[in-house]
Amino acid sequence: MDLENQQRVKDLTEKHGAENVVVLIGAAEAEAAGLAAETVTNGDPTFAGPLAGVQLGLRVFHAVEETFKSAVDEGVYDDQIGMMEMVLEVDEIIEEMEEIRGEFGKFND
Amino acid sequence: MSKKRIVHYINQFFGGIGGEEKADIKPEVKEGVVGPGMALQTALKDEGEIVATIICGDSYFNENLEEAKVEVLNLVKKYDADLFIAGPAFNAGRYGVACGTIADAVKNELGIPSMTGMYPENPGADMFKKSVHIIETGNSAAKMRKAIPLMASLATKMLHGEEIGSPEEDNYIPMGVRKNYFHDVRGSKRAVNMLMKKMSGEAFTTEYPMPNFDRVDPLPPVKDITKAKVALVTSGGIVPKGNPDRIESSSASKYGKYDIEDLGDLLESSHETAHGGYDPTYANADADCVLPVDVLRDLEKEGKIKELHRYFYTTTGNGTSVASSKAFAEEFSQELIKDGVDAVILTST
Repeated sequence: MDLENQQRVKDLTEKHGAENVVVLIGAAEAEAAGLAAETVTNGDPTFAGPLAGVQLGLRVFHAVEETFKSAVDEGVYDDQIGMMEMVLEVDEIIEEMEEIRGEFGKFND
Repeated sequence: MSKKRIVHYINQFFGGIGGEEKADIKPEVKEGVVGPGMALQTALKDEGEIVATIICGDSYFNENLEEAKVEVLNLVKKYDADLFIAGPAFNAGRYGVACGTIADAVKNELGIPSMTGMYPENPGADMFKKSVHIIETGNSAAKMRKAIPLMASLATKMLHGEEIGSPEEDNYIPMGVRKNYFHDVRGSKRAVNMLMKKMSGEAFTTEYPMPNFDRVDPLPPVKDITKAKVALVTSGGIVPKGNPDRIESSSASKYGKYDIEDLGDLLESSHETAHGGYDPTYANADADCVLPVDVLRDLEKEGKIKELHRYFYTTTGNGTSVASSKAFAEEFSQELIKDGVDAVILTST
């Protein structure tokens, strides 16, 4: 995750409280999704950005995950994301996200 | 006993200062840990303490190599370090060169144990793997989590002054060091066992891994050799009698360029070989058997080639490194092109 976005997540979390922040990820590959998810839970894995060593433990989901899918309008989802869902390695992404949440998430509800 | 002191070197990016736009910053020092140092410190537990972090821009370091090295060395001395850690640099080229240069200088100029980490294809790895312990890492910072425990483990050994194991045991890039030891099975038996495994398609581990040489794609064939100017180049060590440029008999550090304009044949009195890797009797008696000037003169007369280039280039291939050979060829190939040579015959021994 680039340094500016790390700062944004950090600022928003300070403003609203970690329990009130959800991060939604749209990365096209499992590895990239996992790195972004790790950044907002366990801290920046590259130790280069503002979230280095900062364990926010935020709730984090990928746009292809059921939790997000079932929370939004089905028609809009199909229009906007349906196509991508067909071409992405959805299972791989979900597995990666679950692993990161399980290991580093503080709000596993 | 007080804790061992570690100084850590990172670039502007990992120092949280900025990306490429900040790559020209001069070395600066921050007390304690910064960036990846946090992870290193956690992994090191109480084995040592990162007392200072030196941050330097990659461009600054590489463009001001000597000054930057001195500045960083002074900072390392000031903190009375027991160990110096640079990086890891993953596959970042300039960062890798900086880490290798400074880790090498700290080790060899200050006598302080030092180490770094890189992806094996980082140019810094090739330059410094023989002089510094370089932990093998993945190719991007995304692999930091895997690199840190390996760095910390080697660092701990160095801090304790423990003997460092083989590259496989301690995860560093092989330094080209050979160490004798007694094996409980004799060599011939091990070789046959390996062969048996190979023949039955089983996995086996060689005891002498070959280096990775690049492969060179052949050029398209010469369209019309009768119109070509042909040059001779040899790694067979043929030189004018007396070896005027003292080309080494092995591990050559140079090549020679010699005029053959007026020569139709290489004679025992005019040419010999400087090569130390084969029986030179026949090459000394008739150097044409390695560098066939006589045959090419015949072909020239018969019109089979347009002409033989007036200079030949020569070195000894015996023990000469691939890097030196490449450097020689890069230089004289330009001359050959400039001289309008269309084709080169490379002869070996």
